[in-house]
Parts: sequence; C-alpha cells; structure tokens
Amino acid sequence: MKASLVWSSPKPEMTIAVAMRRCYSTKTIEEIEIELEKKGPEYWKFLLAKCLQDKSLDVLEHFTMSLLLDGMTEEEMSAILRKFQYVRATSLGDSDWLVSVNARTLVELWRDGGGRPLAESIVIELRKQGVSPLFDELAFR
Amino acid sequence: MRVKLLYSTDLKAIVGALEAKGVHPDPETLLDHVVYMFEIEDCSRVTTHQLVRHRVASYDQESQRFSAATKEGVVTPPSVAANEAALRAYEDGLKGVYAAYEKMVAAGVPKEDARYILPTSIKTKLVMTVNARSLMHIVWQRTALQAQWEIRELAGALHGLAKEATPELWTRIVEK
Repeated sequence: MKASLVWSSPKPEMTIAVAMRRCYSTKTIEEIEIELEKKGPEYWKFLLAKCLQDKSLDVLEHFTMSLLLDGMTEEEMSAILRKFQYVRATSLGDSDWLVSVNARTLVELWRDGGGRPLAESIVIELRKQGVSPLFDELAFR
Repeated sequence: MRVKLLYSTDLKAIVGALEAKGVHPDPETLLDHVVYMFEIEDCSRVTTHQLVRHRVASYDQESQRFSAATKEGVVTPPSVAANEAALRAYEDGLKGVYAAYEKMVAAGVPKEDARYILPTSIKTKLVMTVNARSLMHIVWQRTALQAQWEIRELAGALHGLAKEATPELWTRIVEK
C-alpha cells in the first residue's frame, strides 16, 4: 500500500495549537495566532503533547489531509469505512483511492490493528514530505 | 458576529492529482474531500447550540469553565432592541444575572458552576472544521427563511466564504 500526499492543512501543528487555545482563551483568533507565533514550535509541541496525554484528541480534527492511495482492495477499504466513520474514500478504479482523513482519525487508525497498515502508509508519506514533524514525533514514534 | 476562513482545501491540487491519473471526477464526489476551517466570533450560544447539531464537523469553543464569561458581552436580538420596554426588561434581567454570577465567583464558587446562571445570549468564540458536503447541508437548512435570524446570518457568512474560496464547487454543485 502506498500513499501520495495531495494536500494537507497549512501549518498543521500551529492549527492544532490554535484550536487548543481557542478553548481556554478569550482572545481573538488573531491575538491567539500572534501569541503562538511568538512562543514558537516548542510551545506548540507542549500543547500537542498535552492533548495526546489527556486524550483530548478533538483538537487534532482541524489538521486534515487528502492522499492518493494505491494497493488497497475494496474489501479492505470497506472494513476501514465501517469502523472509522470519518475516513472519506473515493474509488479511482482498480485498487486506487482518493482518501481524506483528519489527524485524530489517523491516530485512531494507527492504534487499531486493522487500521494500522493504512495509517503507516500515510505517516510514512507525511514524514517524507516533512508535513508535521512535531506531531509525527509525539504521536507515531 | 465575525466569521473568518482560516484555511480551505486546495481544490485545484486535488483535481490536478486526479487528472494526472486520468480520472475526471464527478464534482459531487469532491464534496467529501474539500474541507474548510472557520473562526466564528461574537455569536451567541443560542446559535452555537443550533450549529453543533450538525455533527459531521469539528468544533472547539471557548470554555466558560476557565474564561471570564462576563467580559464577553451578549447578543441582543433585533426584536428586543427595537422595543423599548422589552429592551429594558432584557437589560435588567442581564444585570441581575451577571451580579449573581460575580457574587458566586467572589464567594468561591468555581466558574464551572457559577456559569449555570449565565444567559444563552452570551457571546462566544469557536473554530469549526467542516467538509463541503456537510457545509452544504448546513447552508441549505440554515439559510431557509424559517431558520432563526442569527444562525441564518452565520450560515450566509459561511456560504459566502466557502464560495469565495472554492467557487467552482459551490457554483457547479450547490447552487445548481
């Protein structure tokens, strides 16, 4: 199974941090973004680690991605779709798919025996493209 | 109310990747793959209670457990604002509620408990990530004339921003 990244949310780790701060701050979004830019990636990493540790995975849902996937049968994809309701997949014929997921679903796929092969192919591609190194380090290593 | 698009999926990247594989997708199938992240500020909790009933979306909202709720202000419905007697009753009621909230917090009641007395007209802030199919459903339901005025305003703003970001999708499918 091989995944090729088509698109992902810009600045994914900062996006997750924005969602986290939104819950606990009365500031406007612009003020939160300025605060997060000023504090930098170490702070985003701290927030990411906290949400993973506290199992507050909802904030990960704002990091989204679309990939082309080959090497997955209809049966395999059907099993995934039955179990993970937020995976979006469009068949492109043969064993090719356009797949969209958010980072929470990716973590849940990773932690599930049946979902792990799909998650691994996505994580390998994200790693190769350097999309979200902090998230990768905390969630998948 | 203020609504801002924080990001949206690059539709051209998706169409380009599919075309490179010789696939010309039905635009409707792309609705599942195009995502928008919005920031919504200064709408009431009355409206966000309606919004979160649309479940195929991700929401993170300012918490009243930790924030100073009384700094946020309230939304006043036009029907109340336009009626002097109603406006007076509304403002008097709010004064009483906020005074009780402040007294409870001062007496050591945690904000998470004191907030039980706060009105649903209180302004709130949230981020929302939603795919085009789900957003289409929200726009269809919540811009209808029988929808409540504030969520109609919100749905109109979401529609406008989504259409601006991905006009091909909204013109070809949603408005057909």
